[in-house]
Amino acid sequence: MEIILQTCVNALVASAFFALMAVGLVLIFGVMGIINFAHGELYMVGAYLVWYFYASLRWPFLVAVLAAFLIVTVIGLLMERTLFRPMRDNPLGGLINSIGLLFILQVLAVQVGGVGLMKNVPPAYRGSLELLPGVAIGNQRLVALVIAAALLVCIWYFLTRTKVGWALRAVAQDRDAAALQGINIDRISMLAMGLGAGMAGMAGALIAPLTRVEPYMGHGVIITAFIVTIVGGIGSLSGAVLAAVLYAFFHTFVTTYWNGTIATMLGLLIMLVVLIVKPTGIMGTRVSE
Amino acid sequence: MKAAKLAIPSLVALAVFMVALPFGLKLHQQDFMISLLVWVLVVSSYRLMALTGEYSLVHVVLMGAGAYGSALLAKLAGFSVWLAMPCGALVAAGIAALLSFPLFRMSGFYFLIGSFAAGEAIRLSWTYFTVPFGGPKGIKLIPSPELTLPGLGPIPFFEPIPYYYLTLIIVGISLFILYRLENSRIGLIMNAIHWRAPLAESVGVDTWRYRALAFVIASFFAGLAGALFCHYYGTANPAQFDVAAMVYVLIWVIVGGVSRFAGPIVGVVVLSVLNELFREAEQWRPLIYGCILIAAMFYLPDGLVGLPGRIRAWLDGRRGVAAAETGEAAEEPADLASPRRR
Amino acid sequence: MGITRRDLLTATAGTAVLGSTVIPRIGLGATKTLKIGFLAPLTGEVSAWGLPGLYGCEVLVKNINAAGGVQIGEDTYTLEIASFDDEYLPDKALQGFKKIVSEEGAKFVMMLGGDPWPGVQRFANQSKMLATTLLPSDLSPDTPYLLAPCEVHPIYNVTGVEYLARNFPDAKRAVICAQNDSLGIPSVATYEAAFEAAGIEVVDVNIFDPATTDFAPLVTSLMAKKPDIFCYDTAYADFVNLIAQQLHIQGYKGLQISCTCDNYPQIVEKTSKEFMEGFIFQFPDFDDPKLNEPFINFPEPNKFFADYNAAHPGTWTAVSWEYPSIVLQWIAGAKLAGSVEPMQVLEAMKSKPSWPHIFGEADWWGQDLWGINNALVGKWPVVVIRDGKATIAEFGDIPAWWAKNKDVLIKRMRERNQMWDQRA
Repeated sequence: MEIILQTCVNALVASAFFALMAVGLVLIFGVMGIINFAHGELYMVGAYLVWYFYASLRWPFLVAVLAAFLIVTVIGLLMERTLFRPMRDNPLGGLINSIGLLFILQVLAVQVGGVGLMKNVPPAYRGSLELLPGVAIGNQRLVALVIAAALLVCIWYFLTRTKVGWALRAVAQDRDAAALQGINIDRISMLAMGLGAGMAGMAGALIAPLTRVEPYMGHGVIITAFIVTIVGGIGSLSGAVLAAVLYAFFHTFVTTYWNGTIATMLGLLIMLVVLIVKPTGIMGTRVSE
Repeated sequence: MKAAKLAIPSLVALAVFMVALPFGLKLHQQDFMISLLVWVLVVSSYRLMALTGEYSLVHVVLMGAGAYGSALLAKLAGFSVWLAMPCGALVAAGIAALLSFPLFRMSGFYFLIGSFAAGEAIRLSWTYFTVPFGGPKGIKLIPSPELTLPGLGPIPFFEPIPYYYLTLIIVGISLFILYRLENSRIGLIMNAIHWRAPLAESVGVDTWRYRALAFVIASFFAGLAGALFCHYYGTANPAQFDVAAMVYVLIWVIVGGVSRFAGPIVGVVVLSVLNELFREAEQWRPLIYGCILIAAMFYLPDGLVGLPGRIRAWLDGRRGVAAAETGEAAEEPADLASPRRR
Repeated sequence: MGITRRDLLTATAGTAVLGSTVIPRIGLGATKTLKIGFLAPLTGEVSAWGLPGLYGCEVLVKNINAAGGVQIGEDTYTLEIASFDDEYLPDKALQGFKKIVSEEGAKFVMMLGGDPWPGVQRFANQSKMLATTLLPSDLSPDTPYLLAPCEVHPIYNVTGVEYLARNFPDAKRAVICAQNDSLGIPSVATYEAAFEAAGIEVVDVNIFDPATTDFAPLVTSLMAKKPDIFCYDTAYADFVNLIAQQLHIQGYKGLQISCTCDNYPQIVEKTSKEFMEGFIFQFPDFDDPKLNEPFINFPEPNKFFADYNAAHPGTWTAVSWEYPSIVLQWIAGAKLAGSVEPMQVLEAMKSKPSWPHIFGEADWWGQDLWGINNALVGKWPVVVIRDGKATIAEFGDIPAWWAKNKDVLIKRMRERNQMWDQRA
């Protein structure tokens, strides 16, 4: 029983991060039609920035996280402006450019932090909260979970309750029609890219004290993000969140009771099945034209 | 058709150059040439697939399937390497045939991701099932082919120069087949599917069948390339065929230019040679690669292979000639297949 | 430290010339450059096992050259490292091996081993080139010119278990977690054998994917088995770091044993001194005073550690000293052979039943596990964390353990398909 509850706690934390990554990826794809292969590297940059600001410069953890979020958002804006906007009619071009950027960011991380052991980011919040006897959540994880969830709620509010958010969703649904309505596509694209990148940066920043901070850390994350995005339905934000939770629970339980490699393998197969049976994902409504 | 007159002499010159090449190279460069020839076959077969407009991310894994298939048949089933290599290629083609049922229910972006998932699942199974795949260490001590020629005695195919010629012959024949295929009726239909899928369907072309056909044939040659690779280096492991390798193939194809047969070949040759030249830069190499990639997307949308056409057009423009004709590259639409378009 | 090696050499030569009409052979040969091959991953994810070693060799070579180089036979040599990035791929490794040997003219090649080695094996045999590996699982009767002269992973792990069993006789239940790769699996077999020999029951073995990022599920699953001993196997240093944090958070109180624990001060910082107290592993700090014992074959380990950290701060790992110690062993071999030619050096090294290993004299060994006696096995340190600092508790005796428990280890290795004749 304890194991089941502890596994649920573990899965809950994982879902928050999967959701942050997947929602960002969906935003970018929805609005611009580009698969951002460098999404995992934005996550990596977020983690490196926290390492630099918090662990090296000794800024307070939350300030460091906020700074990382803002800087990665700016990187996202620059990516949109320089790499993606000129490729608007050529989504493959956007994909290739993001792969190019992926290499560049990895090398910069190697140059800044070197290779070898992971960058050391000590936890800002020590100890753990014992929910029940034998069921504990580390305070650092708890803080990360709360912030990630709060950010997701903010994004949801922004997208459904504000005028700009409405415009963004309109562009994601039908770019041409939205443009005819007088919506500024350039500005919305930058917004989507900035937000998407920021969320990836935030995920990396929050997880920095809990994971291996190293130049290639984005690699495993992007695969998970793809699975979640596809299962959730590539254009659907709520689908991404739901899929993140489902996949996190699935993966965590299979890992706990069986094996991690099997969990990933089954995850990929589930994604394949979803692609075949319902290519629009569990929550998707748009047909792929 | 003006190119046809030039083609024969330049092909002969190329053949002579390729035959003479290993004697002008250092030992490690001969190995590099073997790898390069293998990758030439990989990217050229990838192009056949791309002709139908689909970009797959499973190609390198299928190359690995060819390597594993051939290696296991030669090691465990005792097949002669000469038989094992085509059988390995058939294994890759067979897997592709099976995959084509689920994968070609999708297209564009969904196909891209679907093929990626299928590839990763296959690759993880090599890692997980130690018997017979050898787990993360893969398969070692894969035999090299044996051939005794009357008068010459056994040919040492583990030496770089004999294996180079073997690879050159097999890759040469494969390229010839791929080229003929592209210019056959089937190839024209594949092209038609890419650019005018609804139209092709309306005149009764079964697009699914031709997409699947292109995928299976491309995978056969990828598998053959994998088999060639593993019987020289004597080993096959899952890490050799991972996403990173796939990304490099994609880069070579796209930087070279997918619109013409020579494009991917030019891409892999130029970028691999550059990569060797930058060896001194060690850790900066991937960054240089990344910059080249982005620069190519911006300044060479039709790939390296379109460069001569662009230069010519630019010169013509300087001479005051109306720059309507941008060389042969403009025969086909210049921009790449767009997954969204469909 | 007034007299450097150079002073000593010139002094000897000078006196000899003055004191005798016979021209002495020492010191009058030409000064030549000697290239040492270094073929390991320098970029990509496995570079952590290569790059710090290259740094270590550069520091060592700089120190040796500053002291006047090395005298081998009649000649004095200054050393130079010829490195090549094999990207942990067999084809790149073969190209690199050929370049280092046939173009750079290196006389031996140090490799990480593992996945790239099978690509190199045939050429190394053909060209009769001496090579070394950090992973003895590359050894087999088909590798006559490959030595594992420094790290005999994972056999030395038995010393830690032996120490644990002797000091904590009440601990009876162990769990093992290991990443699924060529380091993790043979190590699992070794720990299983060592626990069995010590009368400790292994209640669960969890083999995880090296791509794992979140270790909470794994720790939950293993802690459910209520272990007295948590064994990290040969988990990568970063994995040890993350798993330890999770164990701490989920309230683990028992014993811990691991192969490596690089950068343990970070783990102490992230958990607590109490949590890490008594943590057993196998790799000493190089400022450990016990390394100044006379039987240690490494010149001034404490100074080397300081030099290294000054040159490449924050990158020190076990491979930082392992590759340099192989260079030293090779130099000893070349001096004995009076030659730098690979086969003569190999013959000289193998001509004796034992050879100076960094932790004392060690025997050529391995016939029973790898079908060839090309690994050096002798003493290996058992390191224990006390009050937040790693200290060498003792030097465990591997051959003594082997003599008693040989059959258990072979049985366990066979169960995990790790015997040389089982490897595909």
